Amino acid sequence: MKTEVRGNGGSISLQNPSLFNIPLDPITGALKGCLGSLDGACIEKLLLHCASALENNDVTLAQQVMWVLNNVASTVGDTNQRLTAWFLRALISRASRVCPTSMNFNGGSMFQRRLMTVTELVGYVDLIPWHRFGFCASNGAIFKAVEGYGKVHILDFSITQCMQWPTLIDALAKRPEGPPSLRITVPSCRPQVPPLLNVSKEEVGHRLANFAKFRDVPFEFHVKDDDPCLSNETFSTQFESLLTQLTRSQLDLRYDEALVINCQNWLRYLSDESKGNTTTVRDAFLDVIKGLNPRIIVVVDEDCDLSASSLSSRITTCFNYLWIPFDALETFLPKDSRQRLEYESDIGHKIENIVGFEGFQRTERLESGVKLSQRMNDAGFVSLPFCEDTINEVKSLLDEHASGWGMKREEDMLVLTWKGHNSVFATAWTELED
Amino acid sequence: MPVDLDNSSTASGEASVTSSGNQNPLPKSTAKKKRNLPGMPDPDAEVIALSPRTLLATNRFVCEICNKGFQRDQNLQLHRRGHNLPWKLRQRSSKEVKKRVYVCPEITCVHHHPSRALGDLTGIKKHFCRKHGEKKWKCDKCSKKYAVQSDWKAHSKICGTREYKCDCGTVFSRRDSFITHRAFCDVLAEERAKAQTQPQPQNQNQTATKESDPKPQTTDSSPPSAAAPVSVSAPESGKVPAPAPAVPQLTSVISSSALPIQSSDLPENPSPIMEESLAPAPAAAPTGLNGSCSSSASLGSNGSSGSGSRCSVFASLFASSTTSASLKPQQPPVFIDLFQSVGQPDCLTDLAPSPSIEPISLCLSTNHGSSIFGTAGQEHRQYAPPPQPAMSATALLQKAAQMGATATNASLLHGLGIASLSSSSAQQDNLQWGQRQVEPENTSVVAGLGLGLPRDGSSGLKELMMGTPVFGPKQATLDFLGLGMAAGGSPNGGLSALITSIGGELDVVAAATSFGGGDFTSKDIGRSS
Repeated sequence: MKTEVRGNGGSISLQNPSLFNIPLDPITGALKGCLGSLDGACIEKLLLHCASALENNDVTLAQQVMWVLNNVASTVGDTNQRLTAWFLRALISRASRVCPTSMNFNGGSMFQRRLMTVTELVGYVDLIPWHRFGFCASNGAIFKAVEGYGKVHILDFSITQCMQWPTLIDALAKRPEGPPSLRITVPSCRPQVPPLLNVSKEEVGHRLANFAKFRDVPFEFHVKDDDPCLSNETFSTQFESLLTQLTRSQLDLRYDEALVINCQNWLRYLSDESKGNTTTVRDAFLDVIKGLNPRIIVVVDEDCDLSASSLSSRITTCFNYLWIPFDALETFLPKDSRQRLEYESDIGHKIENIVGFEGFQRTERLESGVKLSQRMNDAGFVSLPFCEDTINEVKSLLDEHASGWGMKREEDMLVLTWKGHNSVFATAWTELED
Repeated sequence: MPVDLDNSSTASGEASVTSSGNQNPLPKSTAKKKRNLPGMPDPDAEVIALSPRTLLATNRFVCEICNKGFQRDQNLQLHRRGHNLPWKLRQRSSKEVKKRVYVCPEITCVHHHPSRALGDLTGIKKHFCRKHGEKKWKCDKCSKKYAVQSDWKAHSKICGTREYKCDCGTVFSRRDSFITHRAFCDVLAEERAKAQTQPQPQNQNQTATKESDPKPQTTDSSPPSAAAPVSVSAPESGKVPAPAPAVPQLTSVISSSALPIQSSDLPENPSPIMEESLAPAPAAAPTGLNGSCSSSASLGSNGSSGSGSRCSVFASLFASSTTSASLKPQQPPVFIDLFQSVGQPDCLTDLAPSPSIEPISLCLSTNHGSSIFGTAGQEHRQYAPPPQPAMSATALLQKAAQMGATATNASLLHGLGIASLSSSSAQQDNLQWGQRQVEPENTSVVAGLGLGLPRDGSSGLKELMMGTPVFGPKQATLDFLGLGMAAGGSPNGGLSALITSIGGELDVVAAATSFGGGDFTSKDIGRSS
């Protein structure tokens, strides 16, 4: 039967309409059974083949591989199947961008676009110690750094919507010498990535303020707004504008305050590509905050190097890294757990950006802990070690989660590990005294 | 001095052990410590694959003289003394010990592959027991089961010892989760608001801390929109015993930034889709998200019932399309089933209840993993019937080759949302190819969470018959990317190479001959390799 396309859709005769009555080909079941057992290495190879096929415009091969992958993929299957589902989705998204007009591949699954309540977000960040590890290490370092200060001002650059602060407020409240007065300032712009809240930053601030009051900690919350005209722009545009406003006066920094800069899963969204001779946004940001003379800067992010320009290397690295949270979730949550699916979907969002996009649209530019440390050193910061108290706290945090989670020290950096593999790093910095 | 503490092997407080890959075994070394890429342990490491019996029997510390094994290093050292070694040899061997990593003997396990090896023998032993072993140890208090004794001990120590209860009723076993929850808990916030000011009528959308405030600064904050209630509550609730100048600053900051900020909180995607599914005010804590989905009818296997706002749009698309083709009666159920099965995860209505319950079970040291839940989630009624005897991966790829470019072409089409266009066009013989009849919602269903790609080749056949993609409206090629290339590159070579690289025998010739191009007969479709 011929399969030519008709330009204007003339009548198409179906020579064998009975074919369509076959609900399921005998192959299907076999496919399902067999492909589910393809191992990670095999899947990785398939993904790479698909990617290179797309890059070489080898359309047929790409489609065939996608077809195979599709039969492996399942968002409610085992770890490999789930990962495959999200990777495949990202590859399709990538393919669809070649022809933007004819396809409306709506980026972002329903899960990814969901808005959580604040309470749901609390549960979300504690599903696995992925975030809590960073919170605990950072808060420990901050607590130590502000010892003796009566006023603390935190500039909070993070995507987890202030989930980090209750435990710090709690710790400060219990200080023997009494709590300092605490100010937290957050930027109004935030990368358009999950987790998303259904309330404004101000509302979050209000609740925090309530809590601080309840614990008798003097508290203020500010949203550093930028130009309202930019409210529909991309995050990077908004941020570049914000950078110009991070000055002592505009932030209302006070001389007797201990200034803390908290960067949690943030730096990766700042562009590390330099256009011509200008500094990258990321480095510019570091310069700016250095100029504010902070007492301490804490940087937490995922320990994975995804800044490479080659698609294949990104796929490989990404696949060999993101199995970690998937594996962790698999250990603790059942296959149909909604929370698990939502969490994985958010990781899928990352995958889609890393694999599906290029250029300025590829906003996820993670760099590894080692590279980040190098960057900080180059910017004139010196690392601060985490004190024993903090380390013990992190240890006991991990003890409370089931086995598999561990922690190690790499020079002054703390790294969360899952079954021995690096997942999240936490570092603390201060200015190099001249 | 690098130290690492890996819970996977130190649950009972043994000496710390190295984790996989990243640590140089020598404490002092002039060479910079090697950092390995995640997932790729030390390339020089020796990969050891032990059989289950050997694995469980092997000891980590082995005497180099007589090969006797010990669980602890101290015991090994004690033993070595008994060999009466000359002074020089009494010290630990200083030559670099080759790094070893271990794989799990269980073939289906993710740790069976070298790139996921664990660097520590004790770790892999425990993993093997936990994941693939029998859970012999049971907690008395909460009946959780463990395969590894040290896990069980660790759990028993903390089980039930600490419980933190929030006023809203949620219970936590970990303090930090409890504190964080408490800080943001709706119930607390409400109580606080009530306690502070005279009782005011609650604002709409039942969000906490809302009081209508006569003060001018806050009235210009907009009324809550459908999706995100603006939370500029009375300054009193946010007031803290701070110096007076700070307070007006706070409120003015908030009120002035309320409007523009709000929009940036919402995702930039087309809002109709989002709001459609989020229409019920999500402020109520655990039921928010579940509510929006459970409001839709439960997904049944019957195709006709809509299963959520988007699925129902889809159903109506099929239901309403008029057609003269004879296959209309058969088609809609297949597609709806398909898309529902694909869209299913988006609207899981039969999942575990209220998310706030889950953290509790997580907080306690658990390791039930997938064994307890193992089969529960697998049986989704939407999915294909139980898997049939497995085909090898290579045979499978061969099948893909036999299906030919066109099949996959069309299937992909299908999956990418164009299918709905073609499917409705299947029912209408005359159709403008250039037209897109698919509304964004449909595409998003397909592309929603699942991938929308059909799991079998046959439903792709229809598209096959219809011809190809409608991307470039006047394309007359089989090229789905609209690049004007027929079957780009050397498709045959590409796929064969792929198959070969994956491993296994392959009848390349057979694949090649059937691969020919657009023509094929029904024979090919049904052929099994």
